[in-house]
Amino acid sequence: MRVELTEMLWLEEHELSSSELAAISGLTPELLEELVSSGAVSPIDPSVPEPRFGAAALRTALTARRLCTDFELDTPALLLALGLLDRIDALEARLRLLRAKLPGLR
Amino acid sequence: MKYKDYYASLGLARGASDGDIKQAYRRLARKYHPDVSKEPDAEERFKEIAEAYQTLKDPDKRAAYDQLGTHASGQEFEPPPSWQHQWQGADADTFSAEGLDLSDLFAHLHAARGHGGAARPMPGQDFEVAVPITIEEAYAGTEIDLDLNMPEYDERGRLRRVPHAFKARIPKGATDGQRLRLPGKGGKGRNGGRNGDLYLNISLRPHPVYRAVGHHLYMDLPLAAWEAVLGTSVEVATPGGAVRLKVPAGSHGGQQLRLPRRGLPTPKGGSGDLYAVLQIAVPSVVSEQERALYRQLAEISAFDPRAQVTREPSHAG
Repeated sequence: MRVELTEMLWLEEHELSSSELAAISGLTPELLEELVSSGAVSPIDPSVPEPRFGAAALRTALTARRLCTDFELDTPALLLALGLLDRIDALEARLRLLRAKLPGLR
Repeated sequence: MKYKDYYASLGLARGASDGDIKQAYRRLARKYHPDVSKEPDAEERFKEIAEAYQTLKDPDKRAAYDQLGTHASGQEFEPPPSWQHQWQGADADTFSAEGLDLSDLFAHLHAARGHGGAARPMPGQDFEVAVPITIEEAYAGTEIDLDLNMPEYDERGRLRRVPHAFKARIPKGATDGQRLRLPGKGGKGRNGGRNGDLYLNISLRPHPVYRAVGHHLYMDLPLAAWEAVLGTSVEVATPGGAVRLKVPAGSHGGQQLRLPRRGLPTPKGGSGDLYAVLQIAVPSVVSEQERALYRQLAEISAFDPRAQVTREPSHAG
């Protein structure tokens, strides 16, 4: 008997508060605060007093939690790794777009 | 339960020092960590490496593991009763290794020993499942069956692997890299800890015709040279059905013709675009008559396709 899953959320559509983001990602509120203040995790609108976070922030926060646990990273090393991963993501997205535009390449 | 050779997972001999274990883990984690690795089997390999390291880095767990003896990887074995009494104390009576994985055994050992059964809330584990779908499935939405085996504690505190069979509807609008979160559908929390979440990571399988970038699709549209020169109207297969596309006269290779809203649907009811990337196709075999016509064209045409590259560069400002 299969259980039908109905309560599904597109990460892309769902907004989280700072405490929800910490709980879901498993980061401590202090580390999350540091990631936000250093710009590694960005709220949707940084000007509001109670910031809300989207899919990109959750993705970064989950990566940060995994990197911290698995590599025993301190905060500066974590920030460096997240920054480099961000750059790789941006370059890969650009590469995918360029490849899609080139005829005959898959 | 199946034996796993944790030393072999880290590429070490059984007598390896703590320093060797740490160093081997760091080297392998850098190579296989799914967040930084492009190795095709990174996720599987990293799980194996992390599991080995979690046990071998802890002196108590390593001693418990060493006492299980040496078996071939994958060989069926049961921890002897004396082992369970020594390492699990009071828990041994309620503990059964049946249906468990070696990693569950050591996770249980940690929970039993570290907290002495104290009621500290423990959040359930998050699970991530890769869900590759086709472009047609992304376009129309699809249903998938998920069969997951999750370690869970029953009401008596015994650890069990529980099979879960889920059916999930992937709504139309899914595309590469998007994720669905199913709150509370991961591992069960303990002592009032929250249940973990289940994440479905959507990826699009390669398609023989379309290349997806977000919700936009790109496809090649080969044209004969005369079609590109004179313009034409061609039938193009889109995921939503065939449409006629007008190719303007004087089109050139590499140019993109945009078919608005013919790409993948977006979750909010919109649609991406489809881009036809023009390609000038040349016949590999031509008849005598065709060859004669091409010669005639070559003689009368003033077109210089290399005008830009053969002109003397001008240095004058």
